[in-house]
Amino acid sequence: MASAPDLTQGRTEPVRPVYLRDLGRVVIVALLAVLAGQILNRVCSHPLPIVYQSPEQRLAAELTKLINAPPFQPSDLQTIGLSEFRPIVDGSSALIVDARSAPFYELGHVPGAINLARDDFAHDYQALSKRLQASRDRPTIVYCSGGECHDSKLVASALLSLGFSNVKVFTGGWEEWTQANLPVAKD
Amino acid sequence: MKAITLRYKTVVVSIVLGALFVYAGAMKIRDPLAVADTIAAFGIIPLALINSFALAIPSFEIISGALLIAGWYRRMAALGLLIALGAYTVAIASALARGITIDCGCFGVGPGTRGAMWWDFGRDLAMLAAAFAVYAWSMPSPAAVQDESRAA
Repeated sequence: MASAPDLTQGRTEPVRPVYLRDLGRVVIVALLAVLAGQILNRVCSHPLPIVYQSPEQRLAAELTKLINAPPFQPSDLQTIGLSEFRPIVDGSSALIVDARSAPFYELGHVPGAINLARDDFAHDYQALSKRLQASRDRPTIVYCSGGECHDSKLVASALLSLGFSNVKVFTGGWEEWTQANLPVAKD
Repeated sequence: MKAITLRYKTVVVSIVLGALFVYAGAMKIRDPLAVADTIAAFGIIPLALINSFALAIPSFEIISGALLIAGWYRRMAALGLLIALGAYTVAIASALARGITIDCGCFGVGPGTRGAMWWDFGRDLAMLAAAFAVYAWSMPSPAAVQDESRAA
């Protein structure tokens, strides 16, 4: 009599697709990254709040450290190009303000420019208050990294709300200045 | 011989891609506020989640990049970066399509020009292809899949 066929032969365990197992591990790494990010944020000197605040909201908060400022509103600003900006720098006829953050300013800036960074506005303003108070009625030109950067417009608006009367923005910013191979200061 | 060449290619591409991501993550982790501003500028993620993403993305890039370099869970790390790069590429493409000019913040703060955005888009596509190649090349043989499944 023939024996019954072995039905277990050739049977394979159901296999979960490889990509599903990999996706599960990616989710675990993502959760670890969230945890690591939160821990690092707790120990850093300037932790981020839970909910994001726009640059305008942050600058408004900075301004309230200096004055009883009305709600911050970006102003309509006059802009200038490189051809107009360069003779102003050469002639030292205006106050030049670099609105980029300090590490970028320290790497290089337009000669004669002072650093009034958007995110440290109140601190920088207080540190430079003597020079700034003396320049309130001088022409003031603000620049940032260039392209579509927004910081120069925000800082220029903040200066207007602090009583500066003649503030303009050099829209080409640091990018256009360096692309034209113009002098760079480091101090 | 073919298997050795494939293994060599996988290791080389993994190390290059992993190093790029460790560098990108290290540049971002120094300035989470700038990362948050960049994410916000894309206008894709809800405001309530922006800071959580800004804090998690650099760590995710560093962990995945380091795993790729070390060759530990390489396939999983390649898939993670494939998903991340897919999201970055879609985000830049959508900004380009909407006429928004922003700095992608991929390797720290940049100039934020239209030309730079096209460059970033092309670079992300190339990195996407590299991550896909590493994932595909790291796929186990059917027999190894069985073994891996039993071990899991």
